[in-house]
Amino acid sequence: MSDTIVPKENLLLRMQEDIRRALEKPEGERRWGMVIDTRKCVGCHACTISCVAENKLPPGVVYRPVLDQEIGTYPNVTRRFMPRPCMQCEKPPCVPVCPVNATYIRPDGIVAIDYEQCIGCRYCITACPYSARTFDLGHTYTEGTPEQEVYELLPNYEYGVEHPRKPGSEESPIGNARKCHFCLHRLEQGQLPMCVTTCIGIANYFGDLNDRESLVAEMAAQPNAIVLKEELGTKPKVFYLI
Amino acid sequence: MTTLTTPFAEQESRQTKWVLWFAWVLAIASAGIGAYGLFLRFVLGHAGANYGSYVPWGLWIAAYIALIGASAGAFAFAAVIFTLRKLRYYSLARLAILLAFGAFAAGMTNVWLDLGHPLRFWKLMLQTSFTSIMGWMSWFYVIYGLILVVGLFITRNGVIPKFMERYSWISFFFAIVFAGAEGALFGVVGARALWESGLTPILFLVEAGLFGLGLVAIGGFIFGCLEKQSARMLSVVMLIFLGLLLLFKWAEYTTALYASVPAKVEPIMTILTGPFWWVFWFFHLGLGILLPALLLLFGRGNIWSTGIAGGLIAAMSLASKLNLVLPALAQEELKGLAHAFTGPGLVFAYFPSLMEWLVWIGTLGLGGLIVLIGFHIFNISAPTYSGSSNR
Ligand code: SF4
Ligand code: SF4
Repeated sequence: MSDTIVPKENLLLRMQEDIRRALEKPEGERRWGMVIDTRKCVGCHACTISCVAENKLPPGVVYRPVLDQEIGTYPNVTRRFMPRPCMQCEKPPCVPVCPVNATYIRPDGIVAIDYEQCIGCRYCITACPYSARTFDLGHTYTEGTPEQEVYELLPNYEYGVEHPRKPGSEESPIGNARKCHFCLHRLEQGQLPMCVTTCIGIANYFGDLNDRESLVAEMAAQPNAIVLKEELGTKPKVFYLI
Repeated sequence: MTTLTTPFAEQESRQTKWVLWFAWVLAIASAGIGAYGLFLRFVLGHAGANYGSYVPWGLWIAAYIALIGASAGAFAFAAVIFTLRKLRYYSLARLAILLAFGAFAAGMTNVWLDLGHPLRFWKLMLQTSFTSIMGWMSWFYVIYGLILVVGLFITRNGVIPKFMERYSWISFFFAIVFAGAEGALFGVVGARALWESGLTPILFLVEAGLFGLGLVAIGGFIFGCLEKQSARMLSVVMLIFLGLLLLFKWAEYTTALYASVPAKVEPIMTILTGPFWWVFWFFHLGLGILLPALLLLFGRGNIWSTGIAGGLIAAMSLASKLNLVLPALAQEELKGLAHAFTGPGLVFAYFPSLMEWLVWIGTLGLGGLIVLIGFHIFNISAPTYSGSSNR
């Protein structure tokens, strides 16, 4: 009897292996992408919170909110949860508008922001059709309280660079446009983005879209895979299974 | 050289003195208020502002484009006067250059303080990305600022050099490109349906002309350099621009509403019926278009009505630009975003904070003081001569 039970594939391990394979290739041959299965997402917001913790996001900065959407009218109503990271568009409208080349496409397809170059003009925020960029106004969670908590000052390691937080100053990343970068600092160490690791329903698939053997490429090719606002021609590298 | 009569002297004894006195008080008070705003800006940083992530641009950006537009318009006016050699209006044209400089300085201060990293502004010039209209604009600003300063300096003895008269048409075209590019900065943003239109740069041009003329009219009134003929000329041209503005707005709103594409209809409905409907109906349409039009129509070149109409037009430029910047941004780009995650700046509603208001008032005070002081430094009230000796 036990012979007939098909052992469940550990998707996280498979994706981990996919990443390892991708990292062996030259950077320009990788194309990081993500598939989010909205049927598996339960709207727990764990990914949002783990992202906030991983990237030490201050109040007002969010990389991956989960949208709670109600579709249809009673009695035919559906509720859908839609996590919204940066789409890492292949044709990103946020890039050409940047007046100082602070935002750019990396060879592996991730749209990055050079925090030391960004002047904080926020033109890119207006240009993103997915509201994926937020502005770091310099808030802290403990402002207005008697004590500045130490965790507010912990550095983040976005883009593999240590960024200490200095509330009250305008030192980057305060005063910058900020957005999801697929946890590049983790990726380069062979780790999955934090949201993928944390997802309780394994509703996220991540890997190299150029690798036909990868789970993410397999999922992105499903007939029910869509991208948001396809008509804009931004060619997102984040797909949704509906 | 041909000496021109200057209208300043004869006017000065009349209304000018108390109006000028009032202008000084207002400018100094505004600058004082602004100094406190500036203090808040540097102590609180952007945490003291109400713009944020979903509405990333607010009062300062609206003020910046209104002031830069008015500046370009006033400058274009001066360029036209010199190109056409309308000697009678040369004094007014010199004043227009000074006003253009004041508005430019005020506008640039607004946008500079709006930057997340004001001290990195130099990157705009030295590490420019020319795929960005904003990159182009930064260079236009440098050139424009230089033209204004040089223009003020070389005419400070009251002589308009021959080459300036001959080549002012280049300045005029530069002003058009400059004001149009300002509109293109918005027109190319495909993510915002309200902005993305070929009409946006054209609308910016018309508004620049109108606001610039308004600025010249109120400036001429305050400094006593408006006389019957120049007031009549300004009235007619302002009326034409007011008509054009109404026409373009009508065309834009009605076609969009008829086409019923939600992405465009929603921001327009926000303008017309949203929580700040009165900004459009009362300030922009009422005080910025209809009342000035009536004053100009029935004033028939009266100095007071022309000056006041110009002042209203120039002041209400902010209402128009607020209605361009904010409603386009205050729309959820994806359904459910407004409630997905909360925090400062993660809201689609916006009203400027106290700090934003104070800084804005301060920048107006700064512009006003530049004009009031510049009026003496650059001898604007001195008789003006044409440098063309064959005249
Ligand atoms: S989703 Fe927005 S921020 Fe991300 S790459 Fe596309 S346009 Fe840029
Ligand atoms: S906010 Fe920064 S990244 Fe965005 S357009 Fe401005 S300079 Fe570029």
